[in-house]
Amino acid sequence: MKFNLKANLIWLGIMVAGFVLIDAAEFTGMVNTFIENAMVTVGINIILATGLNLIIGFAGQFSLGHAGFMAIGAYATGIMTQNMATPLGFWLSVAVGVVIAIIAAIIIGVPTLRLRGDYLAIATMGAAEIIRVVINNLKITNGPAGIFNIPQFATWPVVYVIMCITTIMIANFIHSRAGRAVMSVREDEIAASAMGINTTKWKLAAFVFGAATAAIGGSLHASYLQTIAPGDFGIMNSISLLIIVVLGGTGSLTGTVVAAGVLGVIDTVLQNFGTLRMVIYALALILIMVFKPSGLLGRWELSFKRVGTSKKKEVVDQ
Amino acid sequence: MSLLEVNHLTQQFGGLKAVSDVSLTIEDGELIALIGPNGAGKTTLFNMLTGVNVPTSGEIKMATDKGQVLINGKRTDQVAKLGMSRTFQNIRLFAELSVLDNIKIAMTSNTRENFVETMLRLPSFYKKESAIEDEARKLLTDFQLIRYARSTAGSLPYGLQRRVEIVRALATKPRLLFLDEPAAGMNPEETADLTAVISRIQKDYGVTVVLIEHDMSLVMNLAQRIYVLDHGSLIASGTPAEIKQNPAVVAAYLGGEAVAEG
Amino acid sequence: MHTMMQQLINGLSLGSIYALLALGYTMVYGVIKLINFAHGDIYMLGAFWGYYVLRYWHVNFWVALLSAMVVSAFAGMLIEFLAYRPLRHSPRITALITAIGVSYLLENGMSYLYGASPRNFPQVIKQENFHIAGLTVSNIQLLILVVAIVLMVALQLIIKKTKMGKAMRAVAVDPDAAQLMGINPNHVISFTFALGSALAGAAGVLIGLYYNTIDPLMGMTPGIKAFVAAVVGGIGSIPGASVGGFLIGILETATQAVGLSAYKDAAVYVVLIVILLVLPSGIFGKRTKEKV
Repeated sequence: MKFNLKANLIWLGIMVAGFVLIDAAEFTGMVNTFIENAMVTVGINIILATGLNLIIGFAGQFSLGHAGFMAIGAYATGIMTQNMATPLGFWLSVAVGVVIAIIAAIIIGVPTLRLRGDYLAIATMGAAEIIRVVINNLKITNGPAGIFNIPQFATWPVVYVIMCITTIMIANFIHSRAGRAVMSVREDEIAASAMGINTTKWKLAAFVFGAATAAIGGSLHASYLQTIAPGDFGIMNSISLLIIVVLGGTGSLTGTVVAAGVLGVIDTVLQNFGTLRMVIYALALILIMVFKPSGLLGRWELSFKRVGTSKKKEVVDQ
Repeated sequence: MSLLEVNHLTQQFGGLKAVSDVSLTIEDGELIALIGPNGAGKTTLFNMLTGVNVPTSGEIKMATDKGQVLINGKRTDQVAKLGMSRTFQNIRLFAELSVLDNIKIAMTSNTRENFVETMLRLPSFYKKESAIEDEARKLLTDFQLIRYARSTAGSLPYGLQRRVEIVRALATKPRLLFLDEPAAGMNPEETADLTAVISRIQKDYGVTVVLIEHDMSLVMNLAQRIYVLDHGSLIASGTPAEIKQNPAVVAAYLGGEAVAEG
Repeated sequence: MHTMMQQLINGLSLGSIYALLALGYTMVYGVIKLINFAHGDIYMLGAFWGYYVLRYWHVNFWVALLSAMVVSAFAGMLIEFLAYRPLRHSPRITALITAIGVSYLLENGMSYLYGASPRNFPQVIKQENFHIAGLTVSNIQLLILVVAIVLMVALQLIIKKTKMGKAMRAVAVDPDAAQLMGINPNHVISFTFALGSALAGAAGVLIGLYYNTIDPLMGMTPGIKAFVAAVVGGIGSIPGASVGGFLIGILETATQAVGLSAYKDAAVYVVLIVILLVLPSGIFGKRTKEKV
């Protein structure tokens, strides 16, 4: 209990420090629009990828449809804030996006989560593509052209705070009875169900949770960039998020945050390289995977608890 | 009313009858052994009883607080929640998780944490978590596993993994515990430890135990009653003394290595 | 009825391209359980090779087709050797990300070297349309279908009749046991990549001829569609990949024919999901239940 309080205070300190640091950098003019844009993108990617890591790394369910849920949030905000250009309208649109994403995740998850491994990946990818094609053809979403002039409510402080909140929520989920149940499904489904774990229920819980945070990420994306189109939420976008998760280490939230940051920096640095940018990016990706197959951090988690529930290997007393 | 009542249970895989028309009863508090040559259908029977496989025909009824409940047709986790737990022939621990987490996971269905307290880390959450932690640690202490609490389950030596798996099954608070070849691959010393563990589970924890085992010394030491399965059918049942004398059992085992020890 | 038949013909030629690609996915998946994401880009390489030899060396079509198959086969083997072999014993998801990296590398590398704009594929075979019972069939459609079927039959013969084919099947069932039987898995895996990539290279040249245009990103969408086809057919199954490919091709043209071309991709995925829900391992896939 005492350790928990201490650890929680350290985390709070880090988050406040991060905020103050960015704020100071903004204030002194060290951050231009370009860098702010890159930082906000990293923040939104953290929101999206931590949710995906919950599904892939912790529940062990290979989902490739994250961009679909992101699209739901983005379009909820894009459409609603057109008519309700107030902060209340924005937050309402976030909530609506989350609710629709949850319903969609249940509709998609209940039948498909029975599938295993690559079959699940391809089914979720298909489901996300169906969402995208539908958005592409609806009137309310303005078809392939997308929506522009979305009012900007998601400034960097909003994104930062929401990023902290969703990350804390996912971490809290993982370090609880629910998180243990979810991980047992990843480890061995048959053993888990023999221990009284309703595997379908917990898989779905992780999937729905991840989808809800993806919708939040989508809302922020729409409101910050002020322009969205169906093309922003394709298979390649789901794959970019998957890359963050695997690069950081499946099953490590710290890894996801680090990987999102590293990729953000690589992206920013390579901005001046033109076409060569993606070539270098691809080479970097291959080299990192070949030399660090379990991702940058494996399953390691940053923890301030002396006796934490993290799976960090402690001294094995034998 | 018997704790478990099995009537005319059959499992057919294509043309093969793995288990054929098996009827048996298990009384509360008993320690029962299920023996038979390899391929006799013992594990298949376990799988049906614990809801892993759906029987082709027949019925399994378990006595619960709410009267007799039909088990077949229920999912594995529902069967587990009714008070049946098990270990597996080829150990199935949550290998990448700590021993402590393995035990805590088994306590999932007997504990509750709501979403709000989990997300907001309310004091009630920490209270529940520390209760779970204490109970898990107590179980581990009880079975001399506490020093491995934070070790990764898959990294433990074989004998310890078996023991963790048994304790994990016990952590679900079962009324009925199925052990599938708990002594397989153990040396005599480990087997002796195991014998003590099993008999404590029955006596101190009041759990009814059914075990599949090839080690006849362990079976004869522990079991109060024995069921013998051969080619999917029950060929004998009785006390260890009766089984040793049974000509059908001797015939089934003829040439087998196991009977020599018994 | 008439339009349906016409669409069936169009669907068959598109489907044979998907089938050729799907075979590569399914074979590679069969031996190393990897979704070779770069497979669609090998098809692009094949198309570009065909473009160059036809345009600058003025070889005849068959030489272009065969040389594209050989070049693609080597490209596939090289990619396997450099990018996938070091990860043979890593988590499968890591190998998948590497495959995605290779795909990005090929797409962007080609864009960097040759520019991203589409180019016209030399029309070395003059298109002629045959009218049979009111249906229009072009000689190119026939060529695609015939070449695809010949290649599929040849593949089937290689897998069923040759020693290497037997080794491939052995590695697909149990790589460790195969190795104990004296099969070198590295040779088998290289061979599998070579075979699959050769088919992809052939598909690339054929599609160039059919659509007249090629570009560095041309492999992306057909690659994913072909993978879907392989999954629908039951990944790991050779006949499954062919059937899946034709099925997806016909489905796509059929949705276009009924005026729903905007939803043609959605239709493919709806069918995919429905098939997987009914048959979780695809049409020809083996249902494996874990032994407890």
